[in-house]
Amino acid sequence: MSGYSRQLTVLFWAALIASPLFLDGWNLGLLSQLMIYGIFALSLAFIWGQGGLLCFGQSLFFGLGAYAMALTTKDMIPGIPATTLTGLGLAVILPAVVAGLLGLALFKGRGLYGAYFGIVTLSAAVIAERLAINWSYIGGFNGLLDIPPLRVGWGSWQTELYDPLPFFFVVLVAALGIYLLLLRLERSAFGTVLRGIRDNETRATFLGFETAEYKAAAFAVSGAIAGLAGALFAVQFAFVSPAILGFALATEVLIWVAIGGKTVLLAAFIGAVAVKSVENVLSDTLGQYWLLVLGLLFVVAVVLMPRGLLAPFLQLPLPRALRLSGSKEE
Amino acid sequence: MTTGAAPFLTVREITMDFGGIRALDGMGLELSQGEVKCIIGPNGCGKSTLFNVISGDLYPTSGQVLFNGDAITGLSPQKICRNGIARKFQIPSVFDDLTVAENIEIAMTSAAKHYAPFSLMRGGPDRSRYGPVLAETRLLEFGDKPAAELPHGIRQQLEIALLVVTDAQLLLLDEPTAGMTEDETDAIVHMIQDVRDRLGVAVLVIEHDMGFVRKLGSPLIVMMEGAVLREGDYAAISEDARIRQAYLGEID
Repeated sequence: MSGYSRQLTVLFWAALIASPLFLDGWNLGLLSQLMIYGIFALSLAFIWGQGGLLCFGQSLFFGLGAYAMALTTKDMIPGIPATTLTGLGLAVILPAVVAGLLGLALFKGRGLYGAYFGIVTLSAAVIAERLAINWSYIGGFNGLLDIPPLRVGWGSWQTELYDPLPFFFVVLVAALGIYLLLLRLERSAFGTVLRGIRDNETRATFLGFETAEYKAAAFAVSGAIAGLAGALFAVQFAFVSPAILGFALATEVLIWVAIGGKTVLLAAFIGAVAVKSVENVLSDTLGQYWLLVLGLLFVVAVVLMPRGLLAPFLQLPLPRALRLSGSKEE
Repeated sequence: MTTGAAPFLTVREITMDFGGIRALDGMGLELSQGEVKCIIGPNGCGKSTLFNVISGDLYPTSGQVLFNGDAITGLSPQKICRNGIARKFQIPSVFDDLTVAENIEIAMTSAAKHYAPFSLMRGGPDRSRYGPVLAETRLLEFGDKPAAELPHGIRQQLEIALLVVTDAQLLLLDEPTAGMTEDETDAIVHMIQDVRDRLGVAVLVIEHDMGFVRKLGSPLIVMMEGAVLREGDYAAISEDARIRQAYLGEID
């Protein structure tokens, strides 16, 4: 089933690294955009696939990251210097804190499960969207324009990353770094306990675990990553609007991850890249019917291949320390 | 049976009301370190409720549970588990989607006291020990199988192994041999005797299967209507006319 999963995984990343050799500036920009959606999908796959938490408002953290980046780099937050680094820092920390606190509030005590958790997170995203629409300082319904590009360097030697190629590499490093970080978490004891909680929370509680804290920690990690994706999105488009906080994007990312496969990080990443690329091609010819096609694809994936279309091919073997059976000698 | 200064486990005058129904009515028992006792009694006599109270799932209406001299009544299930009381559920409760090795990793993470996630940032449990632990619990040959695919008896063994791996001092086993073949039942008997003899773990077992109770050869507590009807060894209990009539008679 997963015979070539390792080779396929390495091949995919190698192809991404080599892609500037084959693609022009326009297409590199497009690929950067797809990878940003891929990072966003990774954030949801981690909390949904590993933690079993179907977050229906992941766009909240994406949007928080985007607005944090926009407001910081446009020097609209008093007391915080308008640099790329502070912007990225805030875009990661703010959603992480919001997700962590929201997680603790929702999971402590009797806790929220399944659909209830989905509904509450969806409501939080919709509320945030409404707030952004009505808050004129952050641009209200029109959002914020003219977000500056990434700026790197020190003191007098500074440069802005206008060109598609350097920006592409920034996004690629972020995507690969986040992928490896989440993979490491997933394959550590933390990941195993998290899957255990997903599988049988009562048993985990009766083994002494503070399951609410585990889930909240995973939620915070997920929020941070969604926030970083949002920040990169804001920089690339130089524009944010309340729509990226709300329902539409939250549903879209859910579909990418479900189609790719929520339990395998790379499957979710490719799910986002693939669905978005197909959308770029087909939405011109199909127009409104594209959404119908996407909906059908989603239904097919959920009903016929509940693990996702790509997960079965990309599921990596367990870490060596956990591959124990009687046939092998210790 | 060793007798320390403070009694190991004391259940004192526990009463548990659910609305108008009294599930436990002045229930009491004592257990020493490394002692195995079997609790029998008809359905609805309060056996599982007693386990729910000891393990922190239920807060009793009145009464006290003392463990190593400390009152543990009212603590959360997590805290009670960390004190060394581990519970096996009536319906096998393991991590079904995960492999046996992953199941053991979770128990080892608990044994290493990573109850909250942040302590894991300073390093997790020692993964090189999983192999020996699996070999010790005779689960090595199933190491890479998802728990859901295990035979019923092995799943029950896995759940007990999880509890033992957390270094529990007291195991609460709720019908550990329900639905098992005779060979599987024997394996559980050996497992209980082994953890008692090798690790000095005390065990309270709820069981219906009188064959199992006889093989285990431990003292019995007969419960009836939420209280202790009688205590004694298997021979004495099986000759008690009241119990034969009320309980054993239904089985034979």
